[in-house]
Amino acid sequence: MNRKTVIIGIDGVPYKLMDDLSNKGIMPYFQKLKSKGIFRKMRSSIPHISSVSWSSIITGSNPAQHGIFGFTDLIPNTYTLSFPDFNALKVKPFWHHNENKKYVIINVPSTYPVKPLNGVHISGFISLDMDKAVYPSSLLGKLEELQYEVDVDAGTVRTSKSLFLKKLTQTNEARINTYRYLWEKEKWDVFMFVFTGSDRLEHFLWNAYEDKTHEHHQAFLNYFKRVDEIIGEINQRISDNDSLIILSDHGMEQIKTNVNINYFLEQTKFLYLDKSKKEYNQITKKSLAFSLDPGRIYLHRESRYPHGSVKEQDEKNIIQDLTETLSNIEYNNEKVIKKIYQKQEIYHGTELERAPDLVLIENPGFSLRGAIEKNTLFEQDPILTGKHTLEDSVLFVKSENADKIVPPSPTVEDMVSILSKLNK
Amino acid sequence: MTRGEIMNSRLTELEEKSIFILREAKAKFKKPAVLWSMGKDSTVMLMLCKKAFLGNVPFPAINIDSGRDFPESYEFKEKMVKEWGINLLIAQAEHKKDAISGTAEGLNKAEALKKLLEKEKFDALIVSIRRDEHGVRAKERYVSPRDKNFRWDFENQPPEIFNYTSEFKDASHVRIHPLLHWNEVDIWEYSKANNIPVNPLYFAKNGKRYRSIGYADSTVPFKSNAKTIDEIIKELKTTDISERAGRAQDKEKEYVMQRLRELGYM
Repeated sequence: MNRKTVIIGIDGVPYKLMDDLSNKGIMPYFQKLKSKGIFRKMRSSIPHISSVSWSSIITGSNPAQHGIFGFTDLIPNTYTLSFPDFNALKVKPFWHHNENKKYVIINVPSTYPVKPLNGVHISGFISLDMDKAVYPSSLLGKLEELQYEVDVDAGTVRTSKSLFLKKLTQTNEARINTYRYLWEKEKWDVFMFVFTGSDRLEHFLWNAYEDKTHEHHQAFLNYFKRVDEIIGEINQRISDNDSLIILSDHGMEQIKTNVNINYFLEQTKFLYLDKSKKEYNQITKKSLAFSLDPGRIYLHRESRYPHGSVKEQDEKNIIQDLTETLSNIEYNNEKVIKKIYQKQEIYHGTELERAPDLVLIENPGFSLRGAIEKNTLFEQDPILTGKHTLEDSVLFVKSENADKIVPPSPTVEDMVSILSKLNK
Repeated sequence: MTRGEIMNSRLTELEEKSIFILREAKAKFKKPAVLWSMGKDSTVMLMLCKKAFLGNVPFPAINIDSGRDFPESYEFKEKMVKEWGINLLIAQAEHKKDAISGTAEGLNKAEALKKLLEKEKFDALIVSIRRDEHGVRAKERYVSPRDKNFRWDFENQPPEIFNYTSEFKDASHVRIHPLLHWNEVDIWEYSKANNIPVNPLYFAKNGKRYRSIGYADSTVPFKSNAKTIDEIIKELKTTDISERAGRAQDKEKEYVMQRLRELGYM
């Protein structure tokens, strides 16, 4: 018998939101499913952002193995920002594990530009050019007809939240029609479909979820109602022998304040900037450390940067100083930093040398920022109300042996292993 | 060594194709101009113009002045104008506010060029892009019409033959790309074979050199000991860093940054 597997991704949805909305009857289909599988909190990647987390989900590997540490990186031996894409991924995603199986992969973040596979692949955020976002290219005409868009234009949220919500719905519906089309047209073994509007919605309108009187409260709930309908629809399309995985890459919570880490490093004399230059080219020879989004700290090593000044023998002391100083950041008598990891504690693999030396984990509500042109430590975000969380992404698995293959405390790195053990 | 020994058959072929395109452009358009960035590619282009038209560059050369170029580039410009007798027109780029961050300043080079083209009524612009530079340019053609807003409608391109008969509808001017088929190593081999002057920033100084030259404050050098064209060619044949890696201003990057800023990054 040919058993199928469906993976539904819901970008940025926290466990507590799925649990809450299903209990309240807003996600009735998922409520019914909950008792038929294993539903657990899942730990996101470090740092807990989509590019790193989805890369771990699809490869079953650690950031120091797959090589993606953030949306941004610096080009080796320069201060120039680079944006690692699917070409930078060092470990093969699961759809290259078994060439005899056929895959349909829709809207997984950080999988642009696409590469040939046995099946269909439409990449997700950040896709630049449709021609390179779709395999095979014979599908391009159909996608145009379905009005498929690779991403919702989040810029509209600044001018009108209503317009943003309208575009979010349009993009979502086109994507749903695309999944329906490919579901029927392709003879697939594994089907993966990711909702990403959820993450945008939560970033911009988290307050509309928590505040029942918010003018967009109902619109917020409606989005998840629609997600739930599709979960129900998909579940109805598969048989009891097939497997269903529902997961998210990270959680979300209300932002209390943004915290500009590079500004803090300047104030505490770890970072010196030459303001006549641009972006990270501002980093001067005197600098000992700097930060990239969201809480990645890099030593300004002599061996790695054009003006690098940190010598190998001084690394230990500087890391100790940094750890002590950073753990003291306070906002209204509240500690901002919950935990500081050194890279060897959390990372393993061939790319370890490129990993950030320290990664900061924040206490609830603090959004750590790596922008380099800020002149205040704390800042209310002008647009965003939701920020990512580490501990409470979602994992739901429905299969005959789900209770045996889902670890008690799963992380995003477990997905590929679970996938390989389904129905065996 | 005579010129014949270093102008190998590949370079001769590249040169012939480019010269053919340049001559056609001169014949078909009323008022062409050539864009000159002072970089290695557009300087090779000036040399090809000289060869195509009996030692003279018969078109005005347009340089977009950012006010933020390297001092070495300004010196190089003066020297070239004097020694090669170039009819140089300057398009002065103005600073603009970045609409997204509201802080970082950008330069409006396209706007400056557009104004100059309109003022001087140029109908064709010869541009020294190469297909191997990056993804977006891979779709370009030798002849590429631009609409009034400078947009490149790549789905509505004329057939890829130069002696087209169709008119370009709605085109404000047409871009001609005679170097499309060259690669980075070709440019250096040709520069060497023809003794073409080179901006000194391309050569290593204190262990670093520039591979692609943008503004002084947004272009970074990379580690290199290549002090001659031969050493550059040798280096290029082994490196896996992309040519424009040091350029912060590329369009794809701008787009990615915009997308990330919308979500609160950077």
